[in-house]
Amino acid sequence: MRSHDAADCCADAVTGLAEAVLSEIADLLDQFAASGAQSSIDLSGLPMTDADREKLAQRLGRGEVQATLDVAGQTDVWETQYAGVWWVRHFGGNGQVISEEIAITHVPAILLTHREDARAAAERLRKACEVLEATTAADQSSAERDSIHA
Amino acid sequence: MREDKTLAQALESRGVSRRAFLKYASYVATLMALPPSASRVIAEELAKARRQSVIWLSFQECTGCTESITRSMSPTLEDLIFDFISLDYHHTLQAVSGAAAEHARTEAMKANKGKYIVVVDGSVPLKDGGVYSTIAGITNLDMLKETAKDAFAVVSVGTCAAFGGIPHANPNPTGAVAISEIITDKPVVNIPGCPPIPEAMTGTLAYLLSFGKLPELDAKGRPLAFFGETIHDRCYRRPFYERGMFANSFDDEGARKGWCLYKVGCKGPIAYNACATLKWNGGASFPIQSGHGCLGCSEPGFWDKGGFYEPLAAATAKLDIGVGAAAVAGVAAGAAAAELMRRKKSAAVDAANSKKKDG
Ligand code: SF4
Repeated sequence: MRSHDAADCCADAVTGLAEAVLSEIADLLDQFAASGAQSSIDLSGLPMTDADREKLAQRLGRGEVQATLDVAGQTDVWETQYAGVWWVRHFGGNGQVISEEIAITHVPAILLTHREDARAAAERLRKACEVLEATTAADQSSAERDSIHA
Repeated sequence: MREDKTLAQALESRGVSRRAFLKYASYVATLMALPPSASRVIAEELAKARRQSVIWLSFQECTGCTESITRSMSPTLEDLIFDFISLDYHHTLQAVSGAAAEHARTEAMKANKGKYIVVVDGSVPLKDGGVYSTIAGITNLDMLKETAKDAFAVVSVGTCAAFGGIPHANPNPTGAVAISEIITDKPVVNIPGCPPIPEAMTGTLAYLLSFGKLPELDAKGRPLAFFGETIHDRCYRRPFYERGMFANSFDDEGARKGWCLYKVGCKGPIAYNACATLKWNGGASFPIQSGHGCLGCSEPGFWDKGGFYEPLAAATAKLDIGVGAAAVAGVAAGAAAAELMRRKKSAAVDAANSKKKDG
C-alpha cells in the first residue's frame, strides 16, 4: 500500500529498484532450490514507483499457475515464469491494493487449505448429508402415503 | 465481554476462513512494517486469541477520532478488527445509557481484570477538581484512574489524549492534560493525529492482540511503524522542495503546478505521521495532495506553533520569543524546565484529586 502511494508525481519514474529486487529474488531462489528454504519479500514496504513495479512484473512474467481468491476482498496469486517465484497481491474492501509480496516457495500459504477449515467443512458436509438423508426419507414416506391414498 | 471461543471458532460460522486470517495478517504485517514471515505467526495467534475486551473512554474530545476509526473503513478485510475486539463500553456508540452503560463498563472490568485494553480519546481537565468534564457525574480524572487500574494497557487515541491537543491549547482554561501524565504505572501507547489515521489505530490493536505486547514506540510513545518518519520524508512534493520550487501563495503558479507548500506554512518537516503513505479515505488523498500544507496535528502543541500559514522557520522563531530566555539557555535549562513542568503537573493531579475528595 505504501509504495503504491509513495510517489504520485513521479509514478512513471524508474528508480532502479526493480533490478535490485530482481537480484534479491535470484539469491533467494538459489537458496530455495538448494535447500528448500522458503522466503518472501514485502513489496508494499519498498518505495517502488508504479513504473518500478510494472518493470518488475514484466521481468518476472507469468508462469503456469494463476488463481483468484475471494477472501475478504479479492486476492490474485500467480506463479511467475520462474518456478517457485510467486506474486501475491491482496486487495482491500475498496479494491485498493493493501499488501503485496513475492513468495519464494512451493505454493503460497494463502492457497493451502488449513486443517481447521477442513475440519469445519467436514462438519458442515456431514450435516448436509444428514439433512439430505432426512429429506429423502421424508419424500419417500410421503410418496408411499400418496400411493396408498391413490 | 471476553469470550470462551477463540476468534477462529467464533468467526467460522460466518464463513471467515483461516485464509481470511492469513490475509488480515499480511495486511497488519505490511502496516506495521514487519517481515512477511510474521504473517503466519500473526494469523495463528489471532485465530487462537479470544475477543479482546476494549473499554473506550471519551473525555474532552470532538468525536472525530471515533468517526475516523468507524467511518473510513470499507466493509470486508479492514474492518475485521471489529470482530476481533469486543467494544464493551463506548458511550457514543453504545445503545444503552445511564446506569446500564456504567454497569457494562464495571462488568467488563471485573470479567477481564488485568486483560482489557482502555482506549481513550480526549484530554482530561484537572483545574477546579476536574469539574469541566464529567460522565454520569464522575469526573474524567476519576473515571480514567478507576478504569485504567486493572487494564493491560492504555491506548491514547488522537492528539488530545496523547498530548492534550486542542483543549490544552493556550490558554488551556480547563487545565487539560494528556493521559500519559495521569497514568504512569502502566504502558500508554500514543496514536496522535487530529484525527489519527484509522490504520494506525487498528494496526496497533491487531498487533497487541496477536503478540500480547506493545509495538515498538518512539520517545513520545508513538508506534514507530506509523510515526517513524516525517510527512516531509515521504512527501511526493519533496523533489520540488529540494529544487527550491515553492508555492508563495495559494493561487500562484507554484500552487497550481503542485510545488512544495513549505512557504505557505507546511509543517511536514516536523510532523511524524503516516498520511503521506497511508493517506485518507481509503487512500484517496491527504492534505498536501489536496493543496494544503500539513498542520503537524500529530505533534505536541500543534495548535500553538505560531500560525498554520506561516513558514516553519518564522513560526518557530515566534514560538521562541514566547518561551523567552529558556529557549536559548541550553539543554540544562530545558531539562530543568521540563522537570518543573512535570512536578507542576503531578501537583495539579494531586490537587484535583484532593479537591474532589474534599468536595
Ligand atoms: S509540501 Fe511540506 S512535506 Fe511536502 S516537501 Fe514541501 S515542506 Fe515537505
